Amino acid sequence: MAFLSRTQVITAVGAVLLVLYVLDLVRRRKLSEEYSLLWVICSVVIAALGFSTPLLTWITRTLGMMGASSTVFAFGLGFTMAMLLHLSVKLSRLGQENHALTRELALLRHELEGREAAGPRAPGTVEGA
Amino acid sequence: MSELRVLVIIPAHDEQESLPVTLDELRRAAPGVDALVVDDGSHDGTAEVARRRGVVVVRHAVNLGVGGALQTGFRWAVEHGYDVGVQLDADGQHDPAYLPALLEPLRAGRCQVSIGSRYVRRSGYRAPAARRLGMVLFSGLVSAVLGERITDTTSGFRAYARPVMEVCQHDFPRDFPDAPLLIALGRRGFRLEEVPVEMRERQAGRSFYTLGKSLYYPYKNLLASLMVLLQRPAQP
Repeated sequence: MAFLSRTQVITAVGAVLLVLYVLDLVRRRKLSEEYSLLWVICSVVIAALGFSTPLLTWITRTLGMMGASSTVFAFGLGFTMAMLLHLSVKLSRLGQENHALTRELALLRHELEGREAAGPRAPGTVEGA
Repeated sequence: MSELRVLVIIPAHDEQESLPVTLDELRRAAPGVDALVVDDGSHDGTAEVARRRGVVVVRHAVNLGVGGALQTGFRWAVEHGYDVGVQLDADGQHDPAYLPALLEPLRAGRCQVSIGSRYVRRSGYRAPAARRLGMVLFSGLVSAVLGERITDTTSGFRAYARPVMEVCQHDFPRDFPDAPLLIALGRRGFRLEEVPVEMRERQAGRSFYTLGKSLYYPYKNLLASLMVLLQRPAQP
């Protein structure tokens, strides 16, 4: 196994620390398992690239990259994009759910206030159930 | 009046100045018609001024935009057995005097959506050049897809028959219920018809459409229209 360059060591150690931090976040219930998956895969791949020189040089040559560090960066960037897209999708769904809940809440609150008041009914209301 | 049960749905966001004027005008123009104000997360006395006039008010905890407010209105209308829901702006742009004209095509059974249009007849309304370009583009797109001439895709003065409201209470564009909505409804097999109306300047308050939105608007509407075309047309 070839000698590890300083950048490789830094990259690999950084990735290992990231995995540990992500797992700790899951342990403390700050991060759901679902969201930790992409992070863990990302960190493991980066760590593998950092620790294994043959793998890194092979991928670099196969993809026609200019340097080994570009390969690491390319993988990191790829994962970052995937993560951001994943979050955008999740955010859109959260927005839709929030939207639906707000509408539902408005109708429920109106019904509740109507029952509590039980006073003069506003025009247009029909006794519901 | 025929036996159609009509609910006028008024989405209102911070409209305490103009809403009372609109409500009074509505009462004069159409005394027997029920109204629902959907207070879309206002921070002023919008809900209060409407309640004081004896109108039913449903309040959103946060601002959802016109589309969300209309959806709440549609849901209400469907649950309470209305045959037609009329969208009326709180800011006084829409003259309730046109209500009978807007309802006539629905009453006659010619269509399920009638649109109060500023452009069927030459009206006094003049828009800025950029907006005019967008209007031409979107009305061309909608007309081409639906095979019938729709001149005013951005009109918020519309009447929806119950089957349309049943669909729209679940499935409705979030921010701008314009061209993509009309295309989607047309592709579902609903018939659309335009009715000539005059619109006025808003009485007070501020428009839903700000600068940021005016840049986002063409992008969103073009994309959404294309997506509607790519989706399989649903059955009504």
